[in-house]
Amino acid sequence: MPHHDPKSAGSFCHRTRREFLWEAGGGFTALALTGLLSLDRFFTASANAADVVANPLAPKKPHFAPKAKSVIFLFMYGGPSHVDTFDYKPTLYPLDGKTIEVKTFGRGGKRNQGRVVGPKWQFKQYGKCGKHVSDLFPNLATCVDDIAFIHSMTADSPIHGSAMLQMNTGKILSGSPCLGSWVNYGLGSVSENLPGFAVMLDPIGGPISGAKNWSSGYMPASFQGTVLRSAGDPILDLKRPEGMTAPMQRRMLDTLREFNTEHEASRADNSNLAARIASYELAAKMQLHAPEAVDIASESEATKELYGMNDKKTEEFGRRCLLARRMVERGVRFIQLYSGGAHNDDNWDAHSDIEKNHNFHCGRTDRPIAGLLKDLKQRGLLDSTLVIWGGEFGRQPTAEYAKGTGRDHNAYGFTMWMAGGGVKGGVSVGQTDELGAAAVQDKFHVKHLHATALHLLGLDPEKLTYFYGGLDQKLVGVEGAEPIRAVM
Amino acid sequence: MNLRRIIPIAFALAALFCGWLGAAEPSAADIEFFEKHIRPVLSERCHKCHSAGADKVKGGLLLDSRAAMLKGGDTGPAIVSGDADKSLLIQAVRWADKDLQMPPKKKLADAEIADLATWVKMGAPWPAGDKPPVASAKKGFKITDKDRAHWAFQPVKKPMPPAVKNAAWVANPIDAFILANLDEKGLAPNAPADRCTLIRRVCYDITGLPPTPTEVEAFVADQSPKAWENLVERLLASPRYGEHWSRHWLDLVRFAETNSYERDGAKPNAWRFRDYVIRAFNEDKPYDRFVREQLAGDELSDATKDSLIATGFYRLGIWDDEPADRELARFDMLDDIVATTGHVFLGLTVDCARCHDHKIDPIAQRDYYAMLSFFQNVNHYRNGGPTDEVALEEENISEGGGKDHTAQITELEAQVAEFERHYREIAKPPKGAGAVAKLIEEDGLAVLGKEAFERYMSFKKRLLGMKRNNDHDGKALVVSEAGAKPPETFILQRGIPANKGDKVEPAFLQVLSPPPAQIAEPASGKSTGRRTTLANWIASPENPLTARVIVNRVWQRHFGRGIVRSSSNFGLQGDAPTHPELLDWLASEFVARGWSLKSLHRLILTSNAYRMSSRPAPAALNLDPQNDLLSHFDMRRLAAEEIRDSILAASGTLNKKMFGPGIYVDIPKEVLAGQSRPGSGWGKSPPEEQSRRSIYIHVKRSLIAPILASFDVAETDHSVPVRFASTQPTQALGMLNSAFVNEQAAKLAERVRREAGDDVAKQVRLALNLVTSRPPSEAEVQRGMKLIGAMQKEDGVTREAALGSFCLLALNLNEFLYLD
Repeated sequence: MPHHDPKSAGSFCHRTRREFLWEAGGGFTALALTGLLSLDRFFTASANAADVVANPLAPKKPHFAPKAKSVIFLFMYGGPSHVDTFDYKPTLYPLDGKTIEVKTFGRGGKRNQGRVVGPKWQFKQYGKCGKHVSDLFPNLATCVDDIAFIHSMTADSPIHGSAMLQMNTGKILSGSPCLGSWVNYGLGSVSENLPGFAVMLDPIGGPISGAKNWSSGYMPASFQGTVLRSAGDPILDLKRPEGMTAPMQRRMLDTLREFNTEHEASRADNSNLAARIASYELAAKMQLHAPEAVDIASESEATKELYGMNDKKTEEFGRRCLLARRMVERGVRFIQLYSGGAHNDDNWDAHSDIEKNHNFHCGRTDRPIAGLLKDLKQRGLLDSTLVIWGGEFGRQPTAEYAKGTGRDHNAYGFTMWMAGGGVKGGVSVGQTDELGAAAVQDKFHVKHLHATALHLLGLDPEKLTYFYGGLDQKLVGVEGAEPIRAVM
Repeated sequence: MNLRRIIPIAFALAALFCGWLGAAEPSAADIEFFEKHIRPVLSERCHKCHSAGADKVKGGLLLDSRAAMLKGGDTGPAIVSGDADKSLLIQAVRWADKDLQMPPKKKLADAEIADLATWVKMGAPWPAGDKPPVASAKKGFKITDKDRAHWAFQPVKKPMPPAVKNAAWVANPIDAFILANLDEKGLAPNAPADRCTLIRRVCYDITGLPPTPTEVEAFVADQSPKAWENLVERLLASPRYGEHWSRHWLDLVRFAETNSYERDGAKPNAWRFRDYVIRAFNEDKPYDRFVREQLAGDELSDATKDSLIATGFYRLGIWDDEPADRELARFDMLDDIVATTGHVFLGLTVDCARCHDHKIDPIAQRDYYAMLSFFQNVNHYRNGGPTDEVALEEENISEGGGKDHTAQITELEAQVAEFERHYREIAKPPKGAGAVAKLIEEDGLAVLGKEAFERYMSFKKRLLGMKRNNDHDGKALVVSEAGAKPPETFILQRGIPANKGDKVEPAFLQVLSPPPAQIAEPASGKSTGRRTTLANWIASPENPLTARVIVNRVWQRHFGRGIVRSSSNFGLQGDAPTHPELLDWLASEFVARGWSLKSLHRLILTSNAYRMSSRPAPAALNLDPQNDLLSHFDMRRLAAEEIRDSILAASGTLNKKMFGPGIYVDIPKEVLAGQSRPGSGWGKSPPEEQSRRSIYIHVKRSLIAPILASFDVAETDHSVPVRFASTQPTQALGMLNSAFVNEQAAKLAERVRREAGDDVAKQVRLALNLVTSRPPSEAEVQRGMKLIGAMQKEDGVTREAALGSFCLLALNLNEFLYLD
């Protein structure tokens, strides 16, 4: 029976006993502690501890030497228009207002013709590579020699809900782990005081589908994204309750430890108990150190200015970009920043007035993103930090409504870019047609983008698997996907 | 994979074609053209994905022989000999069609494309005797005797309990099976746990709640030889039993009350399904009936309100209300049903065969679609309306789902407001122009365009309807079918709806050598009767999987893991049973006792195996580190709901009110901020409602109460057979600092003051007793008093505040969260 003998099924499912136990879960604890628990202490606790307990967030070796150690994913929620930003379409300008034959699929359904909305901004060439960038991104434009643009992105859905899920989890069906979860699953976390997968939302609001966008799906909660706030308490429940001073809490934790240690003494075979004791020390450390990670008082004025924090318009996103750099410095593996929140023009979803919408959102993010790239570079961090920019899809060259300059969603073709972390600068791969309606050359799918990110982190997208539901699940799906070699 | 079936067929066809189409021997010049211009392109640019030697053949297409090209792949023949324009291969390399561009990453050179077209026009000459590469070890789907011999596919036979030396330890046959295995390994079963431990263990096990100190005292003092049996009976009779065990079932059937995706809208009256499951457990509904009700409760000749509600089973999954591809979404919904049915009732990953034959188990793609055909006629989900809802006459059913209704209205209103805002932006109506809704009716078509306008109007209509028809009360979420005549079902190549393959008829999994699926159309004429046929096969004593799977799940809940650890995978890759004969004995007993779950619990709970202490002997740790042989009881951490409910029980605030629409517990605003509309779809229940058991918390897929999420509540979008039990510092943060735990700690302190009086020692003793279900030692009491004293002295807080902190500590004890 070669066709279903596990041993001859290639790499289909070579689970180790440990992986299996963990997956099966019954009676065993998946331990999400980093660093604090010394492995010696753990493995000598009893003969079987090593077999039973696998710390899922312990740092793991990648499949091969990585280029990137961390990822900053700048998620332009709502879908930025590529033809108005980075995908220069000179033929589109004169067509403004004309109704033409073009296949589109957006919120308004599938159409065969539409009224062209000419790009509303002029493009100029920048850098050694001579990249065309629109006037929406004058600051970022000065970084094009560090950026690889992918103009031929495609996704399976032009609807926010499913498209957001796909950009984050690879699947349009809800319930799968996010890229950030996969990265932490594959590499573990080297940060003791901060979560390995941090999500910073726009104070305007969360994205649609909320927590589904940073869920660990069928993986344990250890791998889900933690929402990190840029003001106030960075992490939920980090602050002691009112009336509980630090010395009081210390006293309480010391007594708790006495109780728990006594309880554990006669149950030393159960290493989960030791792990839980340790988790309180780790929590105390987080309380102590996490606020420091988001405290930018020690940053110089020049640095803050670089991120645009001296300008009211860019102050907020600038602060989060600066925090992203501080997270990278503190070993956080995957950081996701949302630009835009809530609904309609509170994010990049420019259905009615592209000018007003994109002036606002580009205005808030251009300088901070440029500042982030420059700051990472000057600190020697860009080489090991992969920065990804883009939304869940792009926008159509034609109008959605009968009047106005709004554009509907477009998953047939859109632009994303990557920088740092082993990505080649000053390159552009793939093309959309002359209208920007659909990718026509070197088409890439969301899964290729995911494969590229994993590859740069030293993970083989075909080998990074998680056994669930009778199948070795992969971020890139059963059929797999190659990384985008042209940008590496 | 279907390719494995296609390849041998392709070979057979190749043999056929070579003697026929290739009759005209290609000329030397033809061959030269092929070798020079065509073969290099094929081998360099195509064969990586389209040859028998490829790691992974894409699209079922091989381009390594003329015959294979003529045969083609999933989308049809690759070439039409002599007609380049009609040949898919040529269309693909020309990149004319957006959806068909090969090679996908880089277009061939123009000259190469021209050469290929020329070659097709020439009649696609290929050198005779050129042997295509042989696919390595890939064979067609075939079920072998070895497959059929897999233990789980064998009929259940009731084994005799083995004879054991230490017969005194055998309280019932379960113990004989356990002991025999231990004896073989030279291990002894652990001594029984003490009575405090036992009552705590069994109370959590059956009810999900701790015993009260009085209950513990009474049990410890009970001299009756039937003390244990009496305790078990009392617990099984408690309504708390159904509230606890229903949650296990709800995990399996991916229960949630919203749809996920952008709106994550509320499903109408989904809570009735939860109540149905609670009732079913409490009434000890026979499991075979329980299965039939969920799969086909509407078709039963003795259908009841509950059997209708049970069919909500089909409607609990995720639902994208604006899918990019409706046809695919339809099959995704059917896949969700096939997957859930396969995992939950049969312990098989049938869904792995959606796109190809199962890679591990002897389940053909044909089996998948044959199973899907039982569900094919189910009306697509629409989140309410006549195809999803049925009016129940209100009798024994508790109050209606007003809140779901309100949440839906709120959502629709937000949608409508969005459109009106768009309209205002574009049309910029002057002030005083009148109500926007009115304006849109006038020129919305021109301003918004046809699609948007129509969408706006449909939202308005639905909203109006919902506001007028405020009577979701009295309705249940149910399955329905599109009449008595079933549509045809086809195998979908690679799972793609457009790629229809062979037609299939309803049939059960071949590997089980099942009877034919005989379908009797129900008299109602409303449905096909197919689901009844499937339900009867599943709920039959002859089905080798059904009883084994459920008794294993029950065992898993009692002992922390199943006899088969992979409790939703009894296939070839699942774990082998640690005690195969015990599993079969339990399965036979279970069926013999009328599929009664309470009987099964009784049997398991009155074994000595269940009552062993959880402290393993050194020899056991050495010889059997996973405790496969069950020489001792495994400790377990409380599940998320148990933790929250226990906190409420300890503080004395637990409200035992049962049933009805879901409650909304307070969720910190920081968490609500993660929503695109903070607080959307989440209400605020009064404090006494918020103190109800966690089973009654409204299950919103994108918004889970932090204390539940943090302690590994089941993921809502798939069937979950086993909970994780992770340990994370963020759990500690929540237990130390969250508003909920601190409020409850304060209430626990109040209770302790109220019940123990002013004496600190008594207060500490009671607090510890409440969280550990045992009287604390003097040293523990002293330790608590020392802390309270030190906080007063060193931190300058009042005695009340210090007691509050001690109560917070009590809720953080490992002993509180872990069971022996």
